[in-house]
Amino acid sequence: MNKIVIFGIVFTLALLGVVFGIVGGKDVDMSGDMVNFYSAVAAVLIVSITVFVVIKYVNQMQNDTASGELAEHNWDGIGEYKNELPTGWAIMFIILIGWYIYYGLVKYPFNAYSQIGEYNEEVAEYNKKFADTFANIKNDPAKFLAMGKSVFNVNCAPCHGNTGDGLATAGEETLKAANLTHRLDAITVKNVIENGSNQLGYEAMGGMPAGMAAGDDVHTLAVYIAGGMSGEKPAAYAACASCHGEDGMGMEGVAPSIKTFDANMVAYVLSHGKKGAIGKMPSFAGILNDTQLEAAAAYVQSLSGAK
Amino acid sequence: MFSWLEKNPFFFAVGVFLVIAFAGLVEILPNFAQASRPVVGTKPYTVLELAGRHVYIKDSCNACHSQLIRPFKAETDRYGSYSLSGEYAYDRPFLWGSKRTGPDLMRVGNYRTTDWHANHMWEPAKTVAGSIMPAYKHMYTNVADIDTAWAEAETVRKVFNVPYNTEIPLQDGTTAVVELKDLAAEKTKALEEAAVIAKDMKRKDIEAIVSEGKIPEIVALIAYLNSLK
Ligand code: HEC
Ligand code: HEC
Ligand code: HEC
Repeated sequence: MNKIVIFGIVFTLALLGVVFGIVGGKDVDMSGDMVNFYSAVAAVLIVSITVFVVIKYVNQMQNDTASGELAEHNWDGIGEYKNELPTGWAIMFIILIGWYIYYGLVKYPFNAYSQIGEYNEEVAEYNKKFADTFANIKNDPAKFLAMGKSVFNVNCAPCHGNTGDGLATAGEETLKAANLTHRLDAITVKNVIENGSNQLGYEAMGGMPAGMAAGDDVHTLAVYIAGGMSGEKPAAYAACASCHGEDGMGMEGVAPSIKTFDANMVAYVLSHGKKGAIGKMPSFAGILNDTQLEAAAAYVQSLSGAK
Repeated sequence: MFSWLEKNPFFFAVGVFLVIAFAGLVEILPNFAQASRPVVGTKPYTVLELAGRHVYIKDSCNACHSQLIRPFKAETDRYGSYSLSGEYAYDRPFLWGSKRTGPDLMRVGNYRTTDWHANHMWEPAKTVAGSIMPAYKHMYTNVADIDTAWAEAETVRKVFNVPYNTEIPLQDGTTAVVELKDLAAEKTKALEEAAVIAKDMKRKDIEAIVSEGKIPEIVALIAYLNSLK
């Protein structure tokens, strides 16, 4: 055995000894977690392979002499040894060329992977799972509300706030969106009376005309309606009753309920958006699916305690 | 074979040319495919939107926000349909971003509105509980640079043939035209658009600045954010 090999072995053992000296005392559990064991084996392998590869090349530098058959060409007396490719490597190279011709010209173009295809599969699979899992969710009101709440937290809370209170910082003027814990905010009522509105899908009578009340009545009505229509009914409400009903519960196809969140109106707002005194609400058609929209609507209705 | 090539520089050159030409073709040809043309419905930015885009770049919104929706269900649920390369045709430079400290903004115009931005940019944490986005109050007083925005629009129209004043096909089969007139006319137009936004922002101070003939940066920025669909 040559001196340098012996040195290599000693050096490896010494390194391992040092490592053991440092780690060994640390009470590492070699049997409990296989990862520790594998790391130790890997460490031994890496150290020994490194040392012996280095030894091989140091030896070669010390002892190698030029040998082999010269190629026939030479330039100004400078020649070149024939250096054939290793057989295994050469065979692999040729196989890979063949494989690439197959893969590049046949396999890839005709059996192409598509990111969009994978996405479409993912969506189809998800939609099927959603339909299966939640087919009868409406029969389970608690679950349905829970779905509505989670939809609300993600999609509606940034504007309406986590509790649905509309995030007012100081009074109604600072509402960031409608306060959903009660049916109507006074500024909305005032705005609708003064300017009319035609965006909730009640086209039968051309929406709500402007100027249905005037002067002090506007304020009185706003307070009365925003207050949930409890207490004494102002006389001016007579102008409203023909469409919204004596009790404010609205009429199918004519006008929405202004006492509770009726399902039609909420569904319409969710799929068309709405712009009013407080601001603009975007439409959620195409963002949420039908079940989610209905669940969100049910949750909104529950916020103000309505059925 | 190789030693023969080494001794025949002409054929060697031909060989090199073939190899490079092939590599070039592979990169150039796909650009002619329909998939890399502007997506139907993609419109160039108006001058006011471009001014907002400059504000977006100046204040480094792209350091925290991406504009690239990947084709995963979880992303398309939150942000809308995945992005296509043709949608960035008029983005110079594109603002894909590389880090999402905040959400993606590629289609924020679909689910956020003028008045919401007005509240949010002023004090993000008062709008979204726990938000770590910085407030941008200086935008409510700084004035947007419409001249530069107009110059950029005019430049890309001349140099890159961006289709201003041209009929652009839309998804529903109709067409739309994004006009680009001279600077004075564009300034008037931008002011009119700004007045509409200022009104929707429900802030008297902004309306006052616009009525003086100046456009606060926030107005331009909101025009830009609303155009992201
Ligand atoms: C001609 C029928 C009609 C009369 C009369 C009428 N309304 Fe309405 N009202 C409607 C319709 C239709 C809507 C839905 C508006 C829309 O589509 O945007 C509506 C909407 C409203 C809203 C807004 C509801 C919401 O969710 O935004 C309020 C508030 C309201 N009415 C209050 C009143 C008051 C107060 C009066 C009496 C002064 C009144 N309405 C008289 C038809 C009427
Ligand atoms: C970008 C902000 C924003 C988002 C997101 C948002 N809303 Fe709204 N929403 C508003 C604003 C602003 C109003 C008040 C519009 C007005 O001025 O009348 C409103 C009004 C409403 C109303 C009341 C309509 C009326 O006439 O009384 C309902 C119900 C509602 N939103 C439900 C939802 C639900 C459910 C979601 C989530 C799926 C949602 N909103 C998401 C901004 C938003
Ligand atoms: C330090 C990182 C940071 C920077 C810079 C930043 N944002 Fe944000 N942004 C956030 C975070 C975090 C959120 C999520 C919380 C929230 O909605 O406020 C957010 C949310 C948003 C949203 C709401 C998006 C949604 O889908 O809910 C918009 C719009 C927005 N940012 C615009 C901007 C603009 C415009 C700028 C540049 C002027 C900007 N941001 C700069 C971190 C940042």
